[in-house]
Amino acid sequence: MTSRNLPFQHRRRLLLALAGACMPVTAPLAAAGGARRLNVVATTGMLGDAIRQIAGERATVTDLMGPGVDPHTYRQTRSDIARLTRADLVVHHGLRLEAQLDKLLQDLGRRKPVVALAEAIPKAHLLTDEAHAEHFDPHVWMDPGLWRFVAEAARDTLVRLDPEGRSAYEAGTTRYLAELAALDQRCKVLLSRVPPEHRVLVTAHDAFRYFGRANGYEVLGIQGVSTESEAGLRRVEELVDTLVRRRITAIFVETSVSDQNIRALIEGAAARGHKVRIGGELYSDAMGAPGTREGTYIGMIEHNAATIAQALTAP
Amino acid sequence: MNALFEALLMQAGFNTALVCIGAALLGAAAGGVGTFILLRRRSLASDAAGHATLPGLTAAFIIMAWLTGDGRWMPALMVGAAISAGLGLAAVHALAARTRLPEEAAIGAVLSVFFGAGVVLMTVVQVIGTGGQAGIATYLLGSAAGMLRHEAALIAAMAFATAVAAFLLRRPLTMLCFDEDFAAMNGVAVRWIDLALSALLLAVVVTGLKVVGLVLSVALSIIPPVAARFWTNRVHHMVIVAAAIGATGGYVGAAVSSAAHNLPTGAVIVLTLFTLFIVSLLFAPARGLLAGVWRHQVFRRRVHRRQGLLALARGEAIYDGFTLRVLRSAGWIRRDGVPTQTGRRAAREAARDEALWALHRQRQPGDGAFRYYHRVMPIRAVLPPDVVRDLERQFDLADVAAAREPRRGA
Amino acid sequence: MTNIPDTPGKRTGDEGWALSIQGLTVSYGAQAVVFSVDWRVPRESMSVIVGPNGAGKSTLLKAMLGIIPAVSGEVRIFGQPFASQRDRIAYVPQRASVDWDFPASVFDVVAMGQYRELGWWRRRRAQHRAHVLECLERVGMRDFADRQIGQLSGGQRQRVFMARALAQRADIYVLDEPFAGVDAATERALVEVLRSVVREGATVLCVHHDLATVTEYFQHVLLLNVRRIAAGPVHEVFTEALLQETYGGRLTALQLARMPDQARPTPSETPLAKVS
Repeated sequence: MTSRNLPFQHRRRLLLALAGACMPVTAPLAAAGGARRLNVVATTGMLGDAIRQIAGERATVTDLMGPGVDPHTYRQTRSDIARLTRADLVVHHGLRLEAQLDKLLQDLGRRKPVVALAEAIPKAHLLTDEAHAEHFDPHVWMDPGLWRFVAEAARDTLVRLDPEGRSAYEAGTTRYLAELAALDQRCKVLLSRVPPEHRVLVTAHDAFRYFGRANGYEVLGIQGVSTESEAGLRRVEELVDTLVRRRITAIFVETSVSDQNIRALIEGAAARGHKVRIGGELYSDAMGAPGTREGTYIGMIEHNAATIAQALTAP
Repeated sequence: MNALFEALLMQAGFNTALVCIGAALLGAAAGGVGTFILLRRRSLASDAAGHATLPGLTAAFIIMAWLTGDGRWMPALMVGAAISAGLGLAAVHALAARTRLPEEAAIGAVLSVFFGAGVVLMTVVQVIGTGGQAGIATYLLGSAAGMLRHEAALIAAMAFATAVAAFLLRRPLTMLCFDEDFAAMNGVAVRWIDLALSALLLAVVVTGLKVVGLVLSVALSIIPPVAARFWTNRVHHMVIVAAAIGATGGYVGAAVSSAAHNLPTGAVIVLTLFTLFIVSLLFAPARGLLAGVWRHQVFRRRVHRRQGLLALARGEAIYDGFTLRVLRSAGWIRRDGVPTQTGRRAAREAARDEALWALHRQRQPGDGAFRYYHRVMPIRAVLPPDVVRDLERQFDLADVAAAREPRRGA
Repeated sequence: MTNIPDTPGKRTGDEGWALSIQGLTVSYGAQAVVFSVDWRVPRESMSVIVGPNGAGKSTLLKAMLGIIPAVSGEVRIFGQPFASQRDRIAYVPQRASVDWDFPASVFDVVAMGQYRELGWWRRRRAQHRAHVLECLERVGMRDFADRQIGQLSGGQRQRVFMARALAQRADIYVLDEPFAGVDAATERALVEVLRSVVREGATVLCVHHDLATVTEYFQHVLLLNVRRIAAGPVHEVFTEALLQETYGGRLTALQLARMPDQARPTPSETPLAKVS
């Protein structure tokens, strides 16, 4: 903590204090058991969903980023800061997924529990970002096998904060892990129906590498691991070439990213006489609308698998 | 390298070809319109216009999302961008005209306020479900790689329309840029023509949002005309050269950006234009730096040569080192400074030339040919031969007469 | 000193005058810089406006021509309202306002004078080009047609502006300090051009700074210092007393002495000048 950082820290604290002072402190509603619920704020919907499944009645979970929101570029709003200030626990992915929130979360971590759950995954299981070898690819939720680690880390965190709920948290986690395992099975069955030569997944950005590794698919993204990078013309040409040479007929758009580059690929392939269609919309960095099946982690992953399988099986 | 040549020759694929052509047409339109903007001294206003598109883009998205649930409809975004950029230009004009603020301050104020408002609105956009898909952040620096066919068609249509408009309005625009009062007195509807010019600028800026983004769009409008200025001294040539430079920058820049990985097309186009500017600055024959230096050196040699020869003719000593070198290298003096045979002859020629010019000046004081005299050019190279013969005859007669009569203080 | 028309609003009798101004007032903010000026400029004459710095001479010209707004007053050209006669007037402003690095040749600048004739769209034909060259010839700048205007001297620039005015084929020429900062040869040449233009039937109106040459160049004068001090034929109005009044007593004996004998204003025992 050098003296250079201090003024900025002061400003942050002042801001948080101001925000806190502006919001009335409301006691969380009493749960059925009469105990105070844990106020948890999660950055993405996937994390929020996991916490909800594990903690059940013992926690109120708020997601900062809703459906269709891109976590790579998301900047906090004033109401976000308010929510974060009131939280008992803040969970985020880490691994530079929420790149614009890094500083805020770091500062917040000095005043309250802020946990980077994806960083609990053993590094040996992680893929590195091709462009920046010292960074990891943060899209770990694409592999339910890796998401297990996140769930377990979540449980441990909750237990640490709220030891009385240990049994509830452990039960919730066991249930969740079982669901994850079942999901994994179902997906593998779906995805194995695609003939090996068709197992190429082309998407708007490189969000699916863990998916590809887990299910034996080759993945190609137009933009890199983060959507902040601009798609290069050369990359577009390369991909068009790949589409034509390997006779790929279906590519995919994502809910939180512009579909422009994908449409450019389709036009490029069409100019060379090869027809490519949009195989479907995938949930890459955000889930679907709350209240729908795709608005849950399980639903999101299953939707992706089913969409990919169906699109790539058809000729 | 191969990849670059392929791209330049339109062999690198459909997408590259599309981006190259789109960027070329955009560059041409921006260069042409930018010429009049530059001559009208409004170049920085185009920066304000570029930055002022952001609140319009985001507001249009928010309004559309509120009305239809989606918000990504491109024409609405473009209209929103155009409206807020137009408001920005109007605000600059109003601030500069109605308050004591100098124009640069007005531009700076509008630019930062509008852009700031746009950034604030972007935090609202990011939480709307389709916000990520609208990709509004890509309008900041452009996303040329994903150019679609209909976008290129739109650019082509805009380029054509602005070319036609600029051609039709070339006379009133030129008059307005040169002398506003005179134009007003002669029936040029100043406010309407200014409005038309602003509209053309807006068309170029809004169409260029996808290719180079709003931060860099000013470069497309400023660099080509500034570079073109070095090549010509006439407005209509300047417009054409600026359009050509803009087109070349767009085309070559897009091609270069496709030659290697991770090259952002918009930025590379701007860098290419800058390179063309440097080349123009240095090498343009009309007003370039090197041409100017060369012309000056040629002239300097001529001056020293003439002065040296005149000194020789008058029998004066020469001390200037450069003069001595020039005379020596022409073979007119020896190492020790003594004039050679050819040198003496050349000196007599030079003295005679000066005298002929002086005679001509007496006979025809106002003659425009004297600018060549001041460029130290020999009279034979400037005046028609019969005039020169006439002068020579008169000079020779006077010479003979002077030789007979006592000198009268020539 | 000023004539109050006996029937305000009745507008007869102006047709014989090239230019008639009634009650023209111009202000900057809340201060009048030209107040209620009446003047009538006769046809086919050389007329001049004379006055000290800050007297409102340029302002009067600009307001007459509608370049700046007037608080009150009316301007008529050949008896008609100003707006309908605009294209019969050529205005040559003070030189400073132009960007001399502008990419235009001498020919281009003079050709701008033909805008009224050609508009946006009519093609410039050989006869138009010939006329431009003719105008350049009249001011002695024919050989400079291809030069960029930034390469010209002050006198040459003024000649080009004069040629531009000639290209407009106007009936009234209004010039603001045309001889300021100009070499003697150019001044002589331009005066000759103006005289030739008057011989051809036009009217010339100048703001002029050099008192010594007023009586030599001009036939009619308006003495102005925010208000009209006097106006009329030069030999009647250009007297020492009126000049002292116009210049607020700031004309020194030295300035008066510098004027050539025939130009020296008549001594003050002559009656006050008859005004028109």
